[in-house]
Amino acid sequence: MSITSPGILFVVSIVAGFIGAMSGMGGGIVLIPALTLFGVGIKHAIAISIVSVIATSSGAASAYVRDGVTNLKIGMFLEMFTILGAIVGATVTLASSDQPLFIAFGAVLLLSWGTLFVRKVKHEDYLRPADPITHWLELRGGYYDHAEGRQIDYEGRRGWLGGPCMFGAGFIAGLLGIGAGALKVLILDLAMGLPPKVSTTTSNLIIGVTALAGTSIYIAAGYVDPGLAAPVIIGVVAGAFIGTRLLKRLSNHSIRQFFLVVLLLLGVEMILRGLGVFGHGI
Amino acid sequence: MNRIPSNPDATDAARREARLEHDMELLVGYILLAGVLVSIAFLVIGLIWQYALTGSLHLNYLIAGMNYFDFLIHDLGSLFHPAGWDPRVFIDLGIASLLFTPYIRVVSSMVFFAVEERNWKYTAFTAFVGAVLTYSLFLR
Repeated sequence: MSITSPGILFVVSIVAGFIGAMSGMGGGIVLIPALTLFGVGIKHAIAISIVSVIATSSGAASAYVRDGVTNLKIGMFLEMFTILGAIVGATVTLASSDQPLFIAFGAVLLLSWGTLFVRKVKHEDYLRPADPITHWLELRGGYYDHAEGRQIDYEGRRGWLGGPCMFGAGFIAGLLGIGAGALKVLILDLAMGLPPKVSTTTSNLIIGVTALAGTSIYIAAGYVDPGLAAPVIIGVVAGAFIGTRLLKRLSNHSIRQFFLVVLLLLGVEMILRGLGVFGHGI
Repeated sequence: MNRIPSNPDATDAARREARLEHDMELLVGYILLAGVLVSIAFLVIGLIWQYALTGSLHLNYLIAGMNYFDFLIHDLGSLFHPAGWDPRVFIDLGIASLLFTPYIRVVSSMVFFAVEERNWKYTAFTAFVGAVLTYSLFLR
């Protein structure tokens, strides 16, 4: 791994956290391509990124949980699956060579990008009776929606499908060092039929524990360099904080679209590097 | 607070469930907030100190061959010997407290499910998550 100045990494991380928050894709998906462009090896970049994911997820989750929108039971049920996926994913990354990781990263980035444009299924009837397994799992809840000014009660569906799907989301998170939030939201939304706000906030809660499971594998393998991780963690958290505050005030979505184009280019660039288009010096 | 149903028709059991859910949300929310703030504080102190000492943010060391608990015990030990404090101790503690944040969240949720809610199903689910995390953090 080449020696990269921590000062530069700090600035890169602020930008990554900022773009991650502005685009709604999370910090890791910008951070890892950026770190590799600045000479950090992809496995080290993945390991550092997954540690920073714990910080951004926990920071955001603390506010969402206290707001009462996050469904703790649904989150804790699904964590049983994501942590196993993350451990398997991180183990696969350690055994893999660099090229497939670049290609997998680019592919997941482009897929997550695509999900932003999927028309969300609008479930009007959130209280439709659940199947017996989901009912037994107590995957239900309610929250007070301040925007709509009413209480929204809901009953989750297909817990038996959501669990195994979450193993896959955890696998991607551990493999690539990202939160894989887009994928988790998609599962909560499409497979389990939860209201959109519950899906996004509950996904955020799950991401922290999933990232911890992946991190433990990278730490044990010696891939977490604290001297590089420290400025990156502070940078990503600061960037995400600024991005989230700014996002609330912006009504103009053209900035968001600009960042989405940046992400598209990063995804294509990662795949091309994985294919060796730029020569062997990945 | 306004989420707790004040509906007079709500049964005592439903009200109790809503109150417990709210307590748990506060517990989990504040654990996460405190963990992230403590972690960032340690990391910022460590980096500023490093910069003041050397004029650079560069710290070059690895924590290979140690599992997380060795790492934590080693650094907590150093904290009680102020003479041995250096930026590394603070950086390590920052990372350790960050990793500890979701872990504590899972363990305290498990205790809450067992003691307050007496919900054995979810006590078992969180115990499983806690056990897998404990195992993976002991890996080396």
